[in-house]
Amino acid sequence: MSILRTACLASMLLASTALPALAQSRAETLRHVTGAAINTLDPNIPGSTREAFGLSLLTYDRLLSFGKKQLDGKWVFDLDKFQPELAESYTVSPDGLKITFKLRKDAKFHDGTPVTAEDVKWSLDRAVTANVLGKGQLLTGSLTSPDQFKVVDAHTFEVTLPKPDKLALANLAVVYPVIFNSKLAKSKATAEDPWALAWLKENTAGSGAYIIESFKPGETTILRRNPDWNRGSAEKPAAFKRIITQTIPEAATRANLVEKGDADIAIDLQATDAADLEKKGKLKVISTPQYNAITFVSFNNQMPPFDKIEVRKAIAAALPYEDMFKAALFGRGKPLYGATWADGKAPTGETFPIAQPVKTDLAEAKKLLTAAGFPDGFSTTFSFNVGQAGTAEPMAALLKESLAKIGIKVDIQKLPDAQMSTLINEKKVPFFTEGIVAWLPSMDYFYRNFYIGPIRWNYSSINDEKITEWAQTARFEPDMAKYAALGKELNTRHFELMPQIPLWQPSQDAVMAPSIEGYVYQFHRQIDFRDLSRK
Amino acid sequence: MSQLSTTAKRAGWRFASSLPALFGVLVFTFLLMRVLPGDPAVFFASGPSAGKEEIEMIRKQMGLDKPVPEQLLRYLGDIGAGNLGRSLTTGQPVLADLRSRLPASLELTFSALLIALLTAIPLGVAAALRQGSWVDHLVRFICALGVCVPTFVSGLLLIYAFYYLLGLAPDPTGRVDIFTSLPPRATGFLLIDFALAGDWEGWRAAAAQLVLPAMTMALFVVAPLARITRAAMLASLGSDFVRTARSLGLPPAKVIVTYALRNALLPVLTIAGIVFSTMLGANVLVEKVFSWPGVASYALDALLSSDYAPVQGFVLLMASIFVVVNLTVDVLYGIADPRVSVE
Repeated sequence: MSILRTACLASMLLASTALPALAQSRAETLRHVTGAAINTLDPNIPGSTREAFGLSLLTYDRLLSFGKKQLDGKWVFDLDKFQPELAESYTVSPDGLKITFKLRKDAKFHDGTPVTAEDVKWSLDRAVTANVLGKGQLLTGSLTSPDQFKVVDAHTFEVTLPKPDKLALANLAVVYPVIFNSKLAKSKATAEDPWALAWLKENTAGSGAYIIESFKPGETTILRRNPDWNRGSAEKPAAFKRIITQTIPEAATRANLVEKGDADIAIDLQATDAADLEKKGKLKVISTPQYNAITFVSFNNQMPPFDKIEVRKAIAAALPYEDMFKAALFGRGKPLYGATWADGKAPTGETFPIAQPVKTDLAEAKKLLTAAGFPDGFSTTFSFNVGQAGTAEPMAALLKESLAKIGIKVDIQKLPDAQMSTLINEKKVPFFTEGIVAWLPSMDYFYRNFYIGPIRWNYSSINDEKITEWAQTARFEPDMAKYAALGKELNTRHFELMPQIPLWQPSQDAVMAPSIEGYVYQFHRQIDFRDLSRK
Repeated sequence: MSQLSTTAKRAGWRFASSLPALFGVLVFTFLLMRVLPGDPAVFFASGPSAGKEEIEMIRKQMGLDKPVPEQLLRYLGDIGAGNLGRSLTTGQPVLADLRSRLPASLELTFSALLIALLTAIPLGVAAALRQGSWVDHLVRFICALGVCVPTFVSGLLLIYAFYYLLGLAPDPTGRVDIFTSLPPRATGFLLIDFALAGDWEGWRAAAAQLVLPAMTMALFVVAPLARITRAAMLASLGSDFVRTARSLGLPPAKVIVTYALRNALLPVLTIAGIVFSTMLGANVLVEKVFSWPGVASYALDALLSSDYAPVQGFVLLMASIFVVVNLTVDVLYGIADPRVSVE
């Protein structure tokens, strides 16, 4: 309620200033339109949307954030390079078990309290102890217990690892381990809610570049710049004075708004709109293939007939890749098909996904299907989320048509998102399309999280001893040459078993006013507004 | 005085007799949501690191770990205490969400209904007076057009024409231009709040923002209203009292407005009540197209993600509004035609 009142007062003040000042404030304001909603101010709350993750990057600081690198001429986040945020510097002990952070001495929370190692300790303890999303994420970087976090002095903080872990630092830069103003948060905690989950959901206690001015879930969020913030690379506050994030469900309207110049930036337009706007040439369109995401066609490898490798390979040889790519994405993205592997072995091992040596070859598909014992084909269903209908529907139609040519009768099933998630979780979908994203897209992370165990994210339900063993070994392999060798084995094995067929990495189309500069593709597929400025 | 008290008594009795229906709606929606496929806990636990533990956590938070009868009892208890639960989609209590969003929907629906009535009644009257002529056909054509073009199509067309091409309309997002400051909230109806605050510039901004969505919705309901007006007008024009009035030599305008139209309004009133209730729920597409922060789009989002509490809250709200609207129509009926209130 008080946020609302402040917003009213603030906007009244704004309105009372003269007209030139208003025009000025428009130039210093960034209006962002999106299709989704921000539903919490604390990214740790279960059910948080991606927009909420994006917001938390602005209102909270972490110890570190990711650096950036260029990939095919586009700026993207760099998993291996860090830039200081609340930590001024960090050192890793020679055995890789101890990370020591030196905190900035001048950092302050929004209420003016200085940021200390105590706050960092409380926040990280919360991330690994409370019932929050951070818990599941941080354990992928071997961060699991409050015993690992130690306050050395007010501005020195130590993290101890049980084993050297390549992803420990990276995990401290994702959206969950945000640093809270622990005094403020503790004062709002209750006996049943010692980590102030309820309060932090609707209030911020951070030190980030922006302060919440008004927050209407599902409508708008207005942010005001924190003038004292100097954690950016250029040692000065963020460029925009205000940021408005507005939820506009209709994609065509979002496109119209950006085109008319009423909105400054959008990243979730339809592929057609983005292509159209790019062609008109009035706006800046930055299309970055989402290098940490994959769209694939998957099968349940435990369910007949997809438990047979030949069947999976037959389908891989029957998919009309090129047509699907054009129909679903208008070619906006990076294909993961049509590669040539000279000796049948994967050419690289440091990365996943890599382009697969698959192409449309119906004769080969028919042969494989006969070898699998289905000379006349079979009937099955192909499912996708309603939420993805825009891209999945044309794709499914082409898939159905092509598979019919080798005798596989496909019934297309369009499922509501919640129902699809439930069926996938219960491993009841035989044949479907899905997309996955890894925040920390290292090769072993993909294999560990998407190809192992009975978990939901193992979409293909594959259970292969070798993949499991190699992926777990790769995780703690410090020698990069050995790591790459393991990766090469994994990538080859993936192709041989064909548990699912990677199709492409869709583009993230950021469409913005020509005057906006500094856009970087981020791990959480949202915009880090701290990077942006207006020329 | 006695008429007032009988009306009040009637209204009270009507209201009391609708309570069992409301209760039925409550239980029915509750059960319906639970038999729909899709587990909300799995849906909401869709973070990149969400595992079994997280799903269980959300399930517990939503109270889904308990048997259904117990959930129902708890739910009824909560309703009794005025607590409609919490939405996972917006993260807010459902009651607060509905309270902040209902005025937006009502303002839009009222405006649309007003536009629709102001268009439909003259059209219907004109069609009835010139039955079979080109006027009648034109009205029929307009009605057919309004009904057969889905609201999201007409909405997008209006946006394309008036915002994108002509630049006459403000950007079609929300209830007021994002850079306009909002008036202090008194009723939640922006037009009223701006007027109360004496901010006429803001009032104009809000009104301008309202025009396109209200027209889109009005377009859709002009047809039933105009058709009913036409039919009722025809019936009353052909009735004895109009013939008598005409034969007495009263001026035609007086005959048409005072005698024919007043009697013809009764069925129009009934239909308007029904149209209003359906509009309120059925304007999902309009709310979506114009990013209108109303209750219908809120409920749809919740439904798509199997977010139980907001859907249940929405249905309960709609049922209550239906009851209130019927009650109002009933009372207005009594005033328009005193014979109705005689028990």
